[in-house]
Amino acid sequence: MTDMTPRERVLAALRMEELDRPPVAVFTQSATIGQMEALDVYWPEAHSDPRMMAKLSAGQADVLGFEAVRATFCLTSEAEVLGAEVDPGKMNSQPMLKSHPYKDAFKAKEEVDLPSPEEVLNSGRPKVILDAVEILVKEYGDRYPVIAGNTGPFTLAGHLADTENLVFGIIMSPDEVKKWVKAAAEYTDYFTQALSDAGADVVQMSEPTASCDLLSPEMFEEFASPYLKEGYAKLKGAKSCLHICGNTYPILEHMIATGADALSIEEKVDPVKAVESVAGRVPLVGNVGVVHPLLQGSPEDCIKHGKAVAAAGLNVVSPGCGLSALIPNENLLALVKSVKG
Amino acid sequence: MNAQAETLRKNLVDAIVECDIDKTKSNVEASRGILSPQEIIDALSEGMHEVGIKFERGKLFLPHVMVAANAMTSAVALIEGDLAESMTGGSRGHVVMGTVEGDVHDIGKSIVSTMLQCAGYDVNDVGRDVPTATFLEAVKEGNADVLGLSALMTTSMQTQKEVIETLIEKGMRKDVQVIVGGAPVTQAFSDKIGADGYSENASEAVKLVHRLLGN
Ligand code: B12
Repeated sequence: MTDMTPRERVLAALRMEELDRPPVAVFTQSATIGQMEALDVYWPEAHSDPRMMAKLSAGQADVLGFEAVRATFCLTSEAEVLGAEVDPGKMNSQPMLKSHPYKDAFKAKEEVDLPSPEEVLNSGRPKVILDAVEILVKEYGDRYPVIAGNTGPFTLAGHLADTENLVFGIIMSPDEVKKWVKAAAEYTDYFTQALSDAGADVVQMSEPTASCDLLSPEMFEEFASPYLKEGYAKLKGAKSCLHICGNTYPILEHMIATGADALSIEEKVDPVKAVESVAGRVPLVGNVGVVHPLLQGSPEDCIKHGKAVAAAGLNVVSPGCGLSALIPNENLLALVKSVKG
Repeated sequence: MNAQAETLRKNLVDAIVECDIDKTKSNVEASRGILSPQEIIDALSEGMHEVGIKFERGKLFLPHVMVAANAMTSAVALIEGDLAESMTGGSRGHVVMGTVEGDVHDIGKSIVSTMLQCAGYDVNDVGRDVPTATFLEAVKEGNADVLGLSALMTTSMQTQKEVIETLIEKGMRKDVQVIVGGAPVTQAFSDKIGADGYSENASEAVKLVHRLLGN
């Protein structure tokens, strides 16, 4: 099996086939300063140029030896084309939302006319991502799996109408919350399919705002699940991977029930317990800690954690959440080595 | 407290724990004139404290905390007038309170502000994502006795330190007592950055300020 390409290995792992070792790949935001310096491509420019984005997206493979390439480094591009102001960030920090275009409309329970998904998602930075995916497929697709990231409906609804409005609205105006998550899902579904059509092997959707830090499992079931489920049922082509931050152990069942082809989990979940609970029904991706050991630990710590996650039986060994740009190369190289040997 | 007052008090606590804004407000209206403003606030705070405990234990979730905090703030607004009248002694001290720059978490900070206000302090809540310069201006302008800094993220905790360093730089450190809080902050961190006090929650924060100002 040593002559498998990384692409074959990752896709086999996602089919839960028996392998001599799991693949090690960054399924979450993968860019770091170490890669930017090695490739001479930097944030914030790489967020808005398809060539630069593609080059930096392949950094995890070219510079560090991970077994995937992965496009886009943030969760703000969809909201931006829908009218949110975005601070592009710096070389070491991700773009950040500065405003929520439908904050007041939510409060006033206004009916608003939203632009069509085709129109906005084929413009601005979403278009940059689509183009970067096409470049990656052309240049890396024979050897590496191409992973594309996007924003989940509950999280995007928060970006549009303000997350605080959504969280407060869950108790005070639940119908309004559902209206906005449904509206956001139109964009999410369109973009997931567009990324798949551009040739992505996997679309990893991040839904951090629906985490257990903000919603109870019952609220997740009522306000987030239905829209994820509908979207996944329609998706053709790419495999879907659902990423939620925080301790998602209490909602693993709900996450499986969305119909996602794979689940990506954070370090707050005990990997052994997660594998036991999921029991082979869906492949698991994760969950080496981003703050500890990757950012703050030593290479030895990273080797230890990488081995522990592989031994627990996660199907793809990956960081549990988006990488901090400040994570040193040594630590990422150590993680790769812990799995590949 | 007589039986009627005790029932009203209990209803106030319950309305907050049930995270019911309308019920909290109508219970406050029903209690006015029977319970003192201070008794009303104590009951609301007791409810909020219970909400906090239930949140930590995973019995209540963030939407509940946000609604309960809103219920408390709107209930306090109803009796602000009564409160001013009942506080014959005037303000017990001036507090500037805010969440540091780069951090938008303000639910806990606002609860601390409300509770300090209820305890008789004159509180200038400068909001969230507050630049260091704004904190310093507010301290100077209001001749504040206490500056409260909230931070909910490991990254923004460093900014609490920066604010203290800037106070030292500008020669203002000895004019004001600095207290720090927020979930990731600890007593050890507070000591390390040279703050005058730390507390884990809003009711402890009130005791802390009493202690620092000798009230
Ligand atoms: C609510 C929340 C939000 C809301 C905030 C709404 C608001 N208006 O505040 C929203 C959705 C907007 C949000 C956004 C983000 N969040 Co947030 N959020 C939370 C959450 C779930 C709860 C915080 C809370 O309100 N607790 C309830 C209150 C009552 O408690 P409290 O704040 O601790 O306050 C009490 C005490 O600490 C004390 N106290 C507080 N302040 C002070 C001050 C003084 C002087 C004193 C004495 C005492 C004191 O008294 C209070 C009352 O008892 C926490 C996770 C958690 N479970 O804590 C994450 C959390 C804080 N968020 C986190 C993150 C990462 C974010 C985002 C960056 C996410 C993102 N990628 O967009 C953004 C940050 C944007 C920014 N730049 O700030 C992380 C921080 C991780 C870290 N690095 O440390 C946490 C820990 C979640 C996690 N597990 O990852 N978040």
